[in-house]
Amino acid sequence: MDSSRLDLLQGTLDLLILRALRSGAMHGWAISERIQQISQDVLRVNQGSLYPALHRLEHRGWIKAEWGVSELGRRARFYSLTASGRKQLEIEAVNWSKLTDAIARVLRMA
Amino acid sequence: MWWKDCGLRLRALFFRRRMDEELQEELQFHIDMQARKNQRNQSDREAKRQARLQFGSVVRATEECREERGISSIGIAARDLRFALRMLRKSPGFAAVAILTLALGIGANTAIFSVINSVLLSNLPVKDPQQLVFLTNPDEQGLEIGFADGNRDFVTYPEFQQLEQNNQAFSGVLAASNFTARISVELQTADSAANGAPARISMISGSYFSVLGVTPILGRAFGPEVDKLHDANPIAVISYAFWQDRFGGARDVIGRRIRILNTSYEVVGVAPLQFHGETVGANPDIWVPLTMQSEVFPGQDYLSEETSPFRKTEWLQAIGRLKPGVTLAQAKASIEVEFHQMIETQAGGMSEEEKRQFLNQHLAVTPGSHGASTLRGDFGKPLLILMVVVGLILLITGANIANILLARSAARQKEISIRVALGASGSRLFRQVLTESILLAAIGGAVGLLLAQWADAALLRMVSTTSNQVRLDVHPNPAVLAFTFGVTLLTGILFGLTPAFQATRVDLKGTSRGVAGATARPGRVSTGKILVVAQVSLSLLLLVVAGLFVRSFRNLSETQLGYDRDHLLEFFVDPLSYGYRPTEIPALDRSILLRIDAMPGIGGATLIDNPLMSSRDSNSPVAIEGQKPLPGNNADARWDMVGPHFFSTTGIRILEGREITDGDSGNGQRVGVINETMARKFFPRSNPIGQRVFVQTTSGQAPFIIVGVVQDSKQHGAREKPFPRFYVPYFNPIGNDWTAGAAIIVRTARDPSSVSSAIRNVVKQAAPNLPTVAMETIDQRLADSLVTDRMIADLSGAFGMLAVILVCIGLYGVIAYATSGRTNEIGIRIALGAQRSGILWLILRESLLLVLIGAAIGVPLVFAASKWISSLLFGLQPADPVALAFAIALMFLIGVLASYIPARRATRVDPMVALRQE
Repeated sequence: MDSSRLDLLQGTLDLLILRALRSGAMHGWAISERIQQISQDVLRVNQGSLYPALHRLEHRGWIKAEWGVSELGRRARFYSLTASGRKQLEIEAVNWSKLTDAIARVLRMA
Repeated sequence: MWWKDCGLRLRALFFRRRMDEELQEELQFHIDMQARKNQRNQSDREAKRQARLQFGSVVRATEECREERGISSIGIAARDLRFALRMLRKSPGFAAVAILTLALGIGANTAIFSVINSVLLSNLPVKDPQQLVFLTNPDEQGLEIGFADGNRDFVTYPEFQQLEQNNQAFSGVLAASNFTARISVELQTADSAANGAPARISMISGSYFSVLGVTPILGRAFGPEVDKLHDANPIAVISYAFWQDRFGGARDVIGRRIRILNTSYEVVGVAPLQFHGETVGANPDIWVPLTMQSEVFPGQDYLSEETSPFRKTEWLQAIGRLKPGVTLAQAKASIEVEFHQMIETQAGGMSEEEKRQFLNQHLAVTPGSHGASTLRGDFGKPLLILMVVVGLILLITGANIANILLARSAARQKEISIRVALGASGSRLFRQVLTESILLAAIGGAVGLLLAQWADAALLRMVSTTSNQVRLDVHPNPAVLAFTFGVTLLTGILFGLTPAFQATRVDLKGTSRGVAGATARPGRVSTGKILVVAQVSLSLLLLVVAGLFVRSFRNLSETQLGYDRDHLLEFFVDPLSYGYRPTEIPALDRSILLRIDAMPGIGGATLIDNPLMSSRDSNSPVAIEGQKPLPGNNADARWDMVGPHFFSTTGIRILEGREITDGDSGNGQRVGVINETMARKFFPRSNPIGQRVFVQTTSGQAPFIIVGVVQDSKQHGAREKPFPRFYVPYFNPIGNDWTAGAAIIVRTARDPSSVSSAIRNVVKQAAPNLPTVAMETIDQRLADSLVTDRMIADLSGAFGMLAVILVCIGLYGVIAYATSGRTNEIGIRIALGAQRSGILWLILRESLLLVLIGAAIGVPLVFAASKWISSLLFGLQPADPVALAFAIALMFLIGVLASYIPARRATRVDPMVALRQE
């Protein structure tokens, strides 16, 4: 395994999915591609765990799924943010930056 | 957004396959996309292989996705339900017993509730029933002449007319005869033997249907036009049932004619199926205008203004519909003013005392949405008592099932502990066990609903007599179904809770040791025992209540009436209604009496105007010549007009003087006989014989000379209390002559049923126009008057016995279970030399202790409850020691019986086997 790539921490995948969907509806493969692309290939989504996460978020009502037609004309399941998902994204983003700030401070001081 | 979640979950539950297919498609799409990307720098085959590798296990991803969406409460419930069904199928014996007892319990509750619902709770099926108010007494029935101060039971026709015209509070007022006449009715197109069968006829004002807001399903109703002319509106609206039964539901029924007595009526409308009039249980077949009163009751005039305010004929229920925005209190105030303006104009020429009493009359204004019903008064409290009784039965049943479930869950400890070890959470187990009990209750409830239908029919048969058929609509309606559903759910939860808690408290170490882990720890009170103690105390309560009702009913039916009850036949003749003129009646009556007298096997025939064991009676103030009249109601005496030899024929004992004979007929000086209560009250120190009494009737004073004193008798029911009463000759009558009909009483030498058909023939010969008479013995009439008492005695007795059986099963279960847990201990005791009798006592003691505690809790309950029912009891104190002693003795007997088998088994424990078991 390439040592420059990081596996995701538990729970951060949800945040990344929500963030990725902020720019609009997309299907599962596009989500994983986008996360990898934006993080400049540093973050790698475990493709096997992407779909359970998507279903979980759907159940919580943060995202919703619809069948649509992909860019290549094939039937695909498109996910998009719901209103409560948008709210959740804000909350989690704030939490995440608090957490990283705190960790960074600890690392600096220690 | 829980509903969206719910939707997803339901989809997950019901469209499992489709969702799986969609998931496969989604994952495949991902892999294909990955492969496409890989193709840029790899061969086709390699790209696909790499894509699959990158994705990882498709099966695992599928499984995880499924889990994310599949763990839903509905899914769990469905799974629990399937499991519960499997558990029940595995023990069909237990399931059958549990479902049967629950069905009995829930069925009994549903049955009683549906009757309560239709008698006490249901609204009339009319438009906006909550706007209706009664101006009269909806719980009473009858015809009252004269007045009594206080709230009026009914109004007269002229009073109704004034109320209808002058009131401010109502958008409309209706009147209806509060009793239905049962008269034979002929259809113009006679088609069957049913033609001429009696039908129930109700007389109503023109405003009736419009005020109630009831529209006929065929034809029209009649309106205010029928109130204008007397005797000139021969039109009728018929009930749906009558239309079906007698006209076969013919669509062309409108315009056909029916004959009631001597008048032919045109059918103008058919009432809707659900509409049974303003009186619950009366179920009229035909509605005719009030203005046709003298055609329905010939020879009577209930419509005209009375000559004297003292002889008003009050016979109408009056119901108003409140104007929008008018409250009950406002209506009450407004009616009070209007009614008083009306009666004040009638009070002229009265004495001060008369005026005070006369003006102290009121119309009570009460909510009318439930309609009128005498069933409420007769039947209301017994029904509530029965409702409590069946409720307690259901509790006892529930406790029994809880106990069985507890024992089963103890037996299932291994299964449960394995589930716990595999990671089942407490709440999952709790729900699982609760699901089982609710499933049991649900099946029991469904069967119970069916049982209730049958039970209701039986119940109505129990309280119906040949002359008074109680007819109620007790088909399951939303209210009843909701009740049954609620009771079922509650029962399931109640008896399921304890076993469910038990299941969550399972301890793993204990069960791993095997069966011996279930040993009852000494000193610890088990839930089962608490349940049994509760059962004992509730059963004791039921038994005492049953005992009280059974003993009270026996007292009632064995009460001394003061006259013969086995050999007297009674039947009512009403010549006036069947075309005889008033002047012909005395001769007709005489001819009937003479012909019956001449028959073989007859010990005499006489008659009385107010039939024995009926609700009809006469009451008037009396004054003794030479004495100051007693004030107010204190001067009242009840009275009857009787035929010659009434006392010797009926068996009422003559204490002094002589009875009324043939020689007292005619228009000469009137004689009379008084009862001992009247003698004591009016002649405390003097001999009544030869004294002259003045009877104040509505038409003036009527005198009679006392020629005899007779023993008190209960003339109108077993509960009648001694009251001053006098008898005057039927053939030298007071006041209103013979127009109201009379009861002929025949003493038979042998079995009354052997001569009844011969008597019918004789009556037919003497009075060919009279219909065939219905004959009953006094004993039957007494029994008819006690149907409600009989029903409550029978039912509470039956439920008491059921409670005993249930508690016996419950005790047996608990003692047997506790004893099997003590096998070791008993083995040790026997090994150490304990006697068999000692062991027997050891077990018996446990059972008797439970009964003792239960009884100690039950006795205060009994005292509280017996106060509540005391008004229904006859000839006993509520704290009747016999009933209480019997119930307690029975409970202890049950305690012995239930523990005998386990105790016997305990004495046979082989110490060696018992000790080796550990």
